[in-house]
Amino acid sequence: MTESNQIISVKAYRFEPANQVKPYFQNFEVKCSEPISIMALLAKIHEIDPSFACRTSTCFKGKCGSCLIRVNGQDVLGCTTLVNPGESIVVEPYSKFKVIRDVVVDFREPLSAAKE
Amino acid sequence: MKITENLQTDVLVIGGGAAGLRAALAAAESGSQVIVTNKGPLTKSGITLTAAGGMQAPFHPADSEEQYFKDTLQCGYGLGDQNLAKVLAADACSRILDLERYGTRFVRDTEGHFSLGQFPGQSQPRNLFVKGGGLGLVSSLAKACQAHANILIIDDFFVSGLITGQSSQENVAVGAIGINLRNGQLTLIQAKAVVMATGGCQWLWEINDCPTDATGEGLVYAYRAGADLIDMEMVLFYPSVIVWPPSVKGAFAHYEFLAADILDGNIYDHVGNSVLPKPLPIRNEAMQLMAKAINDGRGSEHGGLFWYVGNSPNGLKRVRETLNIAQYNYIKSHGIDPATDKIEVAPGAHYLLGGIHINEQCQTTVNGLFATPECAGNFDGANRLAGSGITATQVFGAKAGFAAHQWAVANQYIDANPASIEQETWRIAGKISTTNNYQGTAISELRNRLRTAVQSYAGVNRNGEGLARLTKIAKEIREELSQLQVPEVKVYNQQLIDLLQLESMCEVAMLVAECALMRQESRGHHYRTDFPRQDDQNWLKHTLAVSMGIEPRFATKPINMLSE
Repeated sequence: MTESNQIISVKAYRFEPANQVKPYFQNFEVKCSEPISIMALLAKIHEIDPSFACRTSTCFKGKCGSCLIRVNGQDVLGCTTLVNPGESIVVEPYSKFKVIRDVVVDFREPLSAAKE
Repeated sequence: MKITENLQTDVLVIGGGAAGLRAALAAAESGSQVIVTNKGPLTKSGITLTAAGGMQAPFHPADSEEQYFKDTLQCGYGLGDQNLAKVLAADACSRILDLERYGTRFVRDTEGHFSLGQFPGQSQPRNLFVKGGGLGLVSSLAKACQAHANILIIDDFFVSGLITGQSSQENVAVGAIGINLRNGQLTLIQAKAVVMATGGCQWLWEINDCPTDATGEGLVYAYRAGADLIDMEMVLFYPSVIVWPPSVKGAFAHYEFLAADILDGNIYDHVGNSVLPKPLPIRNEAMQLMAKAINDGRGSEHGGLFWYVGNSPNGLKRVRETLNIAQYNYIKSHGIDPATDKIEVAPGAHYLLGGIHINEQCQTTVNGLFATPECAGNFDGANRLAGSGITATQVFGAKAGFAAHQWAVANQYIDANPASIEQETWRIAGKISTTNNYQGTAISELRNRLRTAVQSYAGVNRNGEGLARLTKIAKEIREELSQLQVPEVKVYNQQLIDLLQLESMCEVAMLVAECALMRQESRGHHYRTDFPRQDDQNWLKHTLAVSMGIEPRFATKPINMLSE
């Protein structure tokens, strides 16, 4: 297996509300030899760059929804969605809620479009 | 750093799991104004969510409070406080009926009675099943709380410490300081009574089956405010927590399903030899055998053994039917077929048995401070019956909420000791760098080091040498941590929370190590390889840790024995 097959390339959404800078994307390369859930992948990015914020709590059943996230333009459960070494993905906040910071959203505040 | 927001309430509940929400309902229904703070989002964080949904209560016609009481004490190896076991047994049925009123649904048989299963240690079928498991339970309690006008729930609020009263009121909890992650406000919540409902500290162990929330800071806050902590060495381990692959780590496969009358599987070593005898031993004995096999080099490269039911004499159809539940579908979504694949497992931390000492009104040794299991510690002893953990959240949650309400009615607001506020705000301010002088990955490196040490030296099999080493390592990490700072970030400063949590984790690790070192015997889930026998002559008592400024005082405390 070549080196590039041991890496997952992630284009991750960054947003810092207090600075009022526009959201932007940051590239991360995460070393990984096994298929990994998006949730575990985000926790790894938080370890590489602790300024990247993400939720880490889980119910281990794929039910609670703390990990809701948008991957390659699709809203998914981060804990049961797998990504393989060698793949490139785009990670954004779950589309139906207000963003608090980076990919962390406020589940009590649905965006107006989602309310309708 | 200054307090930028002030709130006031009759009763402050810290923790939004099953226990905290039940406490909030009890206090609010009695007339108190209640604030609940939750470290994460409601119904999307906390340890309750991982519960399978088993819940004990003596509803069976042949069962009784008396038998539930006796089973609880026996299962706890005599270390549980009898006054609390009595309350648990007496109130269990009523609290389950309360839950139905709040909208929780239980599995019922065709005649409409609660379906009751019989788990090991239960002398009668006593186990009810919550529909939707831990999430079903928390969701119904959350709805009831949100519908109550007296309850305000604050999500993403990290409490950093308790505040105590002035001069003669130093032994009174008068509120808490915390960081509202959503807006960055450093908030002082003044309360007449405080209920601690923050759960356990299982995430300290590298192998555990709890969410990342289980870092135990509630225990540390109560301890720093002067509350007695008892039996901190008593951690309930579960035999078969998944250790590989990384993304499914922390889920578990049922040890119970390996029994001959269910799926008749076994735990195997890396060459395929079975590790456990049949009939299956009770869990703590099974784990001693598993831990020994792993130590003897019979494990996988990831430190696990293999849970396997693929050769079940009961047939693949039965296996697939039994495993067709959310927990196994979750494992399946990670590319492992639990019906046919070998699953890498090892014993992992599952539940904190010890914790904050309470009386039968859930009062701690600090005035105005109440606590409820899992962070309250003396109802179960050295082991716990399956299904009692969730029952305890409801029985003691309700007791704590009601007692806090009564305290709030009988007492006025007490002024917070300015020194106690200043100490806490300075402590937090000291963590924030104004010069961008911080090293990003240092916190997670120290955290990994601590969790590896806790796993190695305070796991299923412990000894004096290892425990002394753990104390030393935890102190070293605390020292290194005290040098670290994080950037100033207003909204959702996750690094600050990582740092504050790790500080508490170091403190808990030291308390676990010291208490485990003190208890020179083996009892229930505390197994000392250098003291392998149970010693009722000397150790039918709680270990006790009390904060004395920086260093703790360790002692023992008698078990509560009800007079016959």
